[in-house]
Amino acid sequence: MISTYHAALLADSGILMLGALSVYIILATGQLSLGNAGFMGIGAYLASYLTVEAGLPLTLALVLSALAAGMVGIVIGFPALRLRGIYLAMATLGFGEMVRSFFLNFEPMGGAGGFSGMVHVSVGYIWLWAGGILVLVTLLERSRLWLEIRATHDDETAASLVGLNTTATKIGAFGFGAAVAAVAGGLFAHHHVYIEPANFGFDRSIELVLAVILGGSTVAPGALVGAVLLVLLPETLRFLADWRLAAFGTLLVLVLLVRRQGILDRGLFRALTFRRQAS
Amino acid sequence: MMLSVRGLTVSYGPIGAVHGIDLEIGAGEIVALIGANGAGKTTTVKAIAGLLPFGGSVTLDGTPLRPGAAERNLRAGIALVPEGRGILGRMTVEENLLMGTYCRTDRRAAAADLAGMYDRFPILADRRAGLASLLSGGEQQMLAIARALLSRPRLLLLDEPSLGLAPKMASFVFELVASLRADGLTVLLVEQKARHTLKIADRAYLLELGRVVTSGPARALADDPVISQTFLGGRPLAAEAPSGG
Repeated sequence: MISTYHAALLADSGILMLGALSVYIILATGQLSLGNAGFMGIGAYLASYLTVEAGLPLTLALVLSALAAGMVGIVIGFPALRLRGIYLAMATLGFGEMVRSFFLNFEPMGGAGGFSGMVHVSVGYIWLWAGGILVLVTLLERSRLWLEIRATHDDETAASLVGLNTTATKIGAFGFGAAVAAVAGGLFAHHHVYIEPANFGFDRSIELVLAVILGGSTVAPGALVGAVLLVLLPETLRFLADWRLAAFGTLLVLVLLVRRQGILDRGLFRALTFRRQAS
Repeated sequence: MMLSVRGLTVSYGPIGAVHGIDLEIGAGEIVALIGANGAGKTTTVKAIAGLLPFGGSVTLDGTPLRPGAAERNLRAGIALVPEGRGILGRMTVEENLLMGTYCRTDRRAAAADLAGMYDRFPILADRRAGLASLLSGGEQQMLAIARALLSRPRLLLLDEPSLGLAPKMASFVFELVASLRADGLTVLLVEQKARHTLKIADRAYLLELGRVVTSGPARALADDPVISQTFLGGRPLAAEAPSGG
């Protein structure tokens, strides 16, 4: 048995990894979303409503929330087609804030007071979802579809010249990313058994992006590395007391100075997996 | 005629780039578009490939092509090798070539064609695992043409394939284009190197400021005193032995 403290850290890592994966999937097509906390919020509130008010089992509630958020993601993906780079980042940031302020004013789900009544889920259940989705995305990375996603990221015009439908790829990625973020949100709600709009603000979106940038944005397991580091680093620095977060920030800057591409890149991942296969 | 273009107009916002171009290409022909910078050559091939919205009509074997539908045009049999080559630099040579086969449904034949392409361009086989951006200019052009050929096009649009290449590599590219005729391919070639182009082309169109100013058999155009003076430096093509076609 692991202690409650370690179980909480493990659960937070799993949820953060799913959120980071949602950013990674969208980023793979060359689109940076700073609004994934919004999708996470939709998933958290919808899954909580479905389990607490409608009495549905959690797994079904998570699937339905993922589908609903996926559809919202597809809707958001259309205007995003016309935007690139920093402009797209700003637009998605606006979407995230819009979702947060919606739940802030949405009294049926508690408004600013938050929502509770969910049944606590185990770390094992969280990691079943987290591991499953990580394996799914890792397998997807070996498929033809992922090659199309990378081509869309590389050069959209060149991708359309080889017959790829870059519009469908980009919108699909938004939908899939939003669905994964919603699962993360639903699990967050049922792990903490209380949610409020502030849980899904801009700082959460930044945390998800940071996990991807830190862990590595070219392979899916980079999200796992980033999430574990973001959860564990501040904890291991507790001996520094008040200087803990300053030291954490310094470490982040140092890591990114040494490895701009993130800790885990395609080359390192290949080397690690080859070694494992060889031994 | 395989490709028939009637009254093609293309604008970039309020600025017109192509003003009512008519051109025709028969099956198995190599047709050249020549002209100075800004004549509308690239705009014309981009519109035919489906990359730009256009006015007028473009038909392939009698079927009208819709503007701005590059993927559909590729499936209909039109492949474009764009100016600047359009390779996917962050992907490997092999991944680039695989992409060329993705529009096809005959997977087995596509795999055989891919193997055949490595025989045709051994340098690409040597570099298959390397990033496409690390190839030399000439190798990138080979990759771009090989990738386009893997989609098994009926009409290949080549936009300035010799641009930025060393003379030896440029000559290789022109020989390659001439050899495509033997594969039964139809080619629309946009080039500034008029001398090489008129040697391998069957017919040519001269564009100026978005309009066709003259057209006809390539060798006849090469003998035209104005074209000879403007594009061939006053040295007539007739004095040289024909190459390719």
